[in-house]
Amino acid sequence: MGCAVKVEHLCKTFRIPHERRTTLFESIAGFLRPNRYETITVLQDIDFEVESGECIGIIGENGSGKSTLLKIIANILRPTSGSVEVSGKLTPFLELGVGFQPDLSVRENIRIYGTVMGLPRRMISERIEDVIGFAGLERFEDTKLKNLSSGMQVRLAFSTAIQTEPDVLLVDEVLAVGDMEFQKRCFEVFDHYRKEGVTIFFVSHDLGAVRRFCNRALLLNKEKMVCLDETNRVIEKYIYKAPAESAAPKTEENGVRRGNKRIEILGVKLLDKNGNESSDFISLDPLKVRILYNAHEKVYAPVFGLAFYWNDLYCYGTITEFEKYDISPFFGKGHVDFAIERLPVLEGKIEITAAVAGPNNKVLYDWHERLYSFEVHNQTSDLGIFHIDGRWSAGRFV
Amino acid sequence: MLSHLHELWRYRELILQLAWSDFKLRYKNSALGFFWSLLEPLLMLLVLYVVFSNLMRIQVEHYQLFLLLGIILWNFFDRGTSMSIFGIIGKPSLVQKVYFPRDILVISTCLTALMMTALEFVVFVVFMAVFNVVPGWTAVYFPVLLVLEFLMIIGLSLALSALNVYFRDIQFIWRVILQVGFFATPVIYPITIFPEKARWIVMLNPMAQIITMMRDGILYRSAPGPEALAYLAAAAFLALLIGYMIFEHLEPRFAEAI
Repeated sequence: MGCAVKVEHLCKTFRIPHERRTTLFESIAGFLRPNRYETITVLQDIDFEVESGECIGIIGENGSGKSTLLKIIANILRPTSGSVEVSGKLTPFLELGVGFQPDLSVRENIRIYGTVMGLPRRMISERIEDVIGFAGLERFEDTKLKNLSSGMQVRLAFSTAIQTEPDVLLVDEVLAVGDMEFQKRCFEVFDHYRKEGVTIFFVSHDLGAVRRFCNRALLLNKEKMVCLDETNRVIEKYIYKAPAESAAPKTEENGVRRGNKRIEILGVKLLDKNGNESSDFISLDPLKVRILYNAHEKVYAPVFGLAFYWNDLYCYGTITEFEKYDISPFFGKGHVDFAIERLPVLEGKIEITAAVAGPNNKVLYDWHERLYSFEVHNQTSDLGIFHIDGRWSAGRFV
Repeated sequence: MLSHLHELWRYRELILQLAWSDFKLRYKNSALGFFWSLLEPLLMLLVLYVVFSNLMRIQVEHYQLFLLLGIILWNFFDRGTSMSIFGIIGKPSLVQKVYFPRDILVISTCLTALMMTALEFVVFVVFMAVFNVVPGWTAVYFPVLLVLEFLMIIGLSLALSALNVYFRDIQFIWRVILQVGFFATPVIYPITIFPEKARWIVMLNPMAQIITMMRDGILYRSAPGPEALAYLAAAAFLALLIGYMIFEHLEPRFAEAI
C-alpha cells in the first residue's frame, strides 16, 4: 500500500483586512493610511499520512478548519507553509454541479460538468445515456437545466460526478442535501469507490455516517489536529472532550425544586469512564451519576433517588432504599454515586431528577426536578432508543 | 512555463468545452441567435461608412471592406479582453470548488471571442465576394496575423483578469482605454492621414500593426515587411510572457479573494 496523501507541517492563515480594498482607486487613496490586517490561523502544523485505499473521516466543530483542509488538499487554496503531496488523480466533491449552465440542456450540462470533473470526452459520450438513466431524467434530456427541479439537478450532478474514476476523493458534506433515498444512494456509491481502493476523505457532522464509513478519523479542534486514529476512538475523543459545559444545574425555578433541605443536593455530576465530567456519552459506555449533598443536620438513613427521562418519557426510577444500600449517619458534605456499567440508551437526550428524602420516604428533603441532562450518541449499528441485551443465533428445522 | 504548456495540453478538452458552451450560451438566449451578433458589426459598419465616406470624405480603395476588416479585428481585441476580464471573478464556483489551472478560464474565454470573430469573418468573405475583391497570395499572412493577435489578447487578458480579482475597477479603467484605443488605432481611417514623420508613433501600437498588415495582405496584395512582422511577434510574445507572469504571481490567492 503506497502513500496516497502526505501532509507535512501544514499551516494556513487568512489575512482579513479591516477595511477591504477591492479597487485600485481605494488602494491608491489608502496608500498613506496603511490598512490593518487581522491574521486568522485556520490550520496549524497539521501532519499526517494516509495510505491509499483508506477512508478518512474529518470531524470537528464548525470553524475548526475542516473545509479549509480539504480545499488545500484539493489545491484550491495554497498552504501558508508546509506541504501537501497527493499521488494519483484527485477529484473533489466539494459542491455538486460546479459549472452548470442553467440555460443549456441536460445533455450539454453533462458534457460541461463531466469535463470539469476531468472525464475524457470519449468517456462522456459513452456514458451519457447511463448518466441520464441513473438520474432518472430520460424524458427531460433536452430540457434546459433551469426548468428542472432542484432535486433533479442534484441527481443529475451526482450521477455525472460519480462517473469519475479518481484515486483520491474528497467529499465535503455533499450528502447533507437530498432526501433519505438520495443519501442512501450516495453511500452505496462511496462504498463502491472504497471497495475499488479509492482513498476517500469525508468531512461530516454526521458522526454515525463517519463511524459506519471510515476506518480512520481525523479530529480537528480550533485549527489544531487532535488526532488521526481508529474511527471509534476518535469519535469518543470528540464527544468526551473535557471539560463539559452543560452538566451544571439549570437556574432554580418554582416547582422544580422543593423540600425542606435538611439535606441539600448541591448538584449532580455525570462522570464518564475516565472520571471526567461530561454531558455527552456514547451508548453502552459506563456512566456514573454522582449526587453531591450537604447534610445540614445529622440524618439517619436518608433515601436518595434518581429518575431518568427520555423525551418526557419516564424511563427508570431508582432509590437507595430499594437497593438495601446502607447509608448511615449523614452529616456534612458528601456524595452518593449511581454507577451504570453499560448505558442501555442508544440515542437521545436523557434528563435526570435527583431527590433525597427522609427514612421511608416520609419527609422530602430536596428534589431537583429534571435539572440535569446528558446526550447519548449511538456508536453501535443498532437502531432505536434502548439497547436490549440479546444474542442472535441460527439453527435448522429438524 | 514549458511544463505548464504541457499541462494545458492535457486540459485541452476542458478548454474547448468551456469555450464552446460559452459560445453557445451567448447565442442561445436570443431568438435569432447568430443573426443578432452579426448585426452589431454590420450596423456599426453602416454608420461609420456613411459618416466617414460621405461626410468626412475619406478616400480609400474598397473603403467598405477596409472598414469592415478593421472593425472585425478591433472587435476581436475589444471582446476578447473585456470578456476575459470577468473570466475569473465571473466563475467563482469553478475557482473555489474545483481545481484546474486557472488560466484555462481565461484562455477558453479568449477562444470564445475567437469563435465569434470567425463568424464575422464568414460575413467578411461574403462581402468580398459581393464587392468582387479577390485576395492575392499575400492573404496567406492572414492566419499568422490572427494567431499573433490571439496570443496578444491572451497575454493581456491573463494580466487583466488576475488584476481584476484584487482591483475591481480595472474593468472600468480598461473600458476607457479601449474607447481611446479605438480612435487611436487606424480602424476607421488609414494610417496615411498622419504626417509621414508621426506615423511610427501610431504604429508602435501592435493593434495598428495588425490591422494595417491585414488590410495590406487581404485587400491590397502587399506582404508585410519583415521588421514589422518581427516587431508584432515580439510584442505578442512579450504580452503573453508578462501576462503569464502577473497571472502566476496572483493566482494562488484567487480562491480567497474572489
